[in-house]
Amino acid sequence: MSNVSDKRFLPEGKHLMMGNVAMAEGAIAAGLKFFGGYPITPSTEVIEHLAKRMPEVGGCCMQMEDELASINAVIGASLVGAKAMTATSGPGLALMSETISFAANLEIPFVFCDVQRNGPGNGLVTDPHHNDIGLMRFAGNGEFGVIALAPINCQELFDLTIVAFNYAETYRCPIFIISDAYLGHIHEVVSIPKKEEILDKVIKREITDESDIMYTYTYLDKETNQYITPKPFIMGTEYCAKTIIQQPHGPAGFPVSANKAIDFIKGIIDKLNNNKDKICLTEEYLLDDAEIVIIAYGLPVRAAYRSVDLARKEGIKAGIFRLITVWPFPDEKVKNAIKNAKTVIVPELNYMGVIAEQVERVTESGIPVIRIPKVCIFHHPDDIFKVIKEVAK
Amino acid sequence: MSEDAKAALPNEKPEHPYLEYSVIGSLINNFSTRFCAGCGYGIIANIFNRFFQDEKLNPQQYPLVIGVGCYTQIQVIIHKDVQKIWVLHGRAAAVATGMKMANPKLKPIIFSGDGDCLGIGGNHFIHACRRNIDCIIFIFNNSVYAMTGGQAAPTTLYGAKSSTTPYKMIENRSDGVKLALAAGASYVARTTVAHPRTLMKYFKKALNHKGCSVIEIVTPCVTYFGRKNLDSLGREIGGEKGDKMDSGGKMIDWIKKVTVRRNQAKFMSEEELFNKYVIGEFRYDPDKPEYSEEYEKIQQIAMEEK
Repeated sequence: MSNVSDKRFLPEGKHLMMGNVAMAEGAIAAGLKFFGGYPITPSTEVIEHLAKRMPEVGGCCMQMEDELASINAVIGASLVGAKAMTATSGPGLALMSETISFAANLEIPFVFCDVQRNGPGNGLVTDPHHNDIGLMRFAGNGEFGVIALAPINCQELFDLTIVAFNYAETYRCPIFIISDAYLGHIHEVVSIPKKEEILDKVIKREITDESDIMYTYTYLDKETNQYITPKPFIMGTEYCAKTIIQQPHGPAGFPVSANKAIDFIKGIIDKLNNNKDKICLTEEYLLDDAEIVIIAYGLPVRAAYRSVDLARKEGIKAGIFRLITVWPFPDEKVKNAIKNAKTVIVPELNYMGVIAEQVERVTESGIPVIRIPKVCIFHHPDDIFKVIKEVAK
Repeated sequence: MSEDAKAALPNEKPEHPYLEYSVIGSLINNFSTRFCAGCGYGIIANIFNRFFQDEKLNPQQYPLVIGVGCYTQIQVIIHKDVQKIWVLHGRAAAVATGMKMANPKLKPIIFSGDGDCLGIGGNHFIHACRRNIDCIIFIFNNSVYAMTGGQAAPTTLYGAKSSTTPYKMIENRSDGVKLALAAGASYVARTTVAHPRTLMKYFKKALNHKGCSVIEIVTPCVTYFGRKNLDSLGREIGGEKGDKMDSGGKMIDWIKKVTVRRNQAKFMSEEELFNKYVIGEFRYDPDKPEYSEEYEKIQQIAMEEK
């Protein structure tokens, strides 16, 4: 299994592929070894594609009996040293949330692709609706941090999936890829880089020197006062705690008493918060002199680009601040982006405005935050442009 | 008392031969568990340790996947070198499936209870058997949800009293062995803690078997099952109501009374077998294709395809 299979990488160059397939190919390029899934529209193409591709690269793709089994098989695989992932939609995420919190507490890394659809249950299953954004952050019981990345096109689905696997190895927490029914089913050109280029980027799951590692879980370095996350432990090797327990535990894996439980919780949350500058990827577009700032993630960004171009033509100073990393929410970066803004617009594919609330939280009073909610329908550039024009009056 | 008589009496506890191999023994050099008096999990854990040590098994090859129940505390007295993970309630079979498929060299051993394996995790159990994935599933059947205070379990015998069936249990019990047989596990056996030698025999057979092995172990729960029930479980036999089962010894006697060997059971009617545990080996099929081996063949086909 250690040899890199010839079939792991698609030939260098341009390929036309579906969003779900691009994501799956990104995962294989990142070294995916185990996929456990259960068919659910609109994520089904992921498991269909991987069922064919995984055996070719010496990995395993299993269709489990339900979502609960697939996520548990994924953490089982991750425990024994395989890069593992699952893909599902909202109802699947709801079922899996128990195990997500379990894995986050035990710092078992895995990647989770959520191809969102309108819910609950059998809602409008082929329509996009970013209604899981809150659930991703607060899934399951217990306190923990997650990372969620929001691509906007097939190329990014490929690239960000590789980033997601690297984050999983580095930060050992659940990594979400925020996709949706449109993005998953869109067909676009993806340019695959050279094999060597990808291999340079990918962080491998291997223990190079077992004696080097003091702890199996995140620990506080007393000298620098920083949380340090060691490499994921592997069951079946020396580098593994003898007993892996669910209770609050210290860095060596032994249970701690109730008055020390807060140190454990601090560790698994602050390991992300302290590294926000590395984790939080953002993108800016015409932001330097912008008075109207659009903050968006996922599909609405694509409409926002066009509407900002329209606005600039009419002399309105509008710009975009795009969140590539949605969770953890990049407080400082958003604050910095809107410091000169007069108005903030948040187009979001849900009515509740989960991210709009976060933006409101970091915005100074006096700066209005205007929401443009859409459910099951894609934002048209005109929808956003209209709001920009009204604000500019 | 004469000196000779004094010397004949043990003035210290006899030495536990496998003490140093248990987690707690290696830490405090003394044996202590969190189990109630009369519990059967101590027997199971010590049989496991004894077997593991005597056979000199590689602890890194046999990850122990422990579900949620009283037996979760078995991790305190189990072999110190075994890598064990305490997983979510009912999901042990699914976690073990992932482990086996990601690293086919391992052979996961699952500890699960009757509620864990036949209640909340029933689906995962069925499908692990159906795939014939190479692992050992131990079902510890004590008839109740003991950790939460003795509620009725899917395996609670008809007529038995429990915290949630204070009058009597009126549901039919689910039979782990029959379920495993129907689902397609390739090695299925049932024994009790009153028959520890057979348990060791079955364990050895399961370890050398390539496929899904299911071993159900009937074990006593004095605190929540024995104290609440008479050994007749509410049925009056010959005008007698039955005896109390309020100690470990009485429960072991009861277990011996309600178990029937498989070759005896052949000649018994359905009615005679009601509320009885049939023990023995029910299926041993070493030729049945095992999932991870079959998947390796698929990988070969896929890799050769151009």
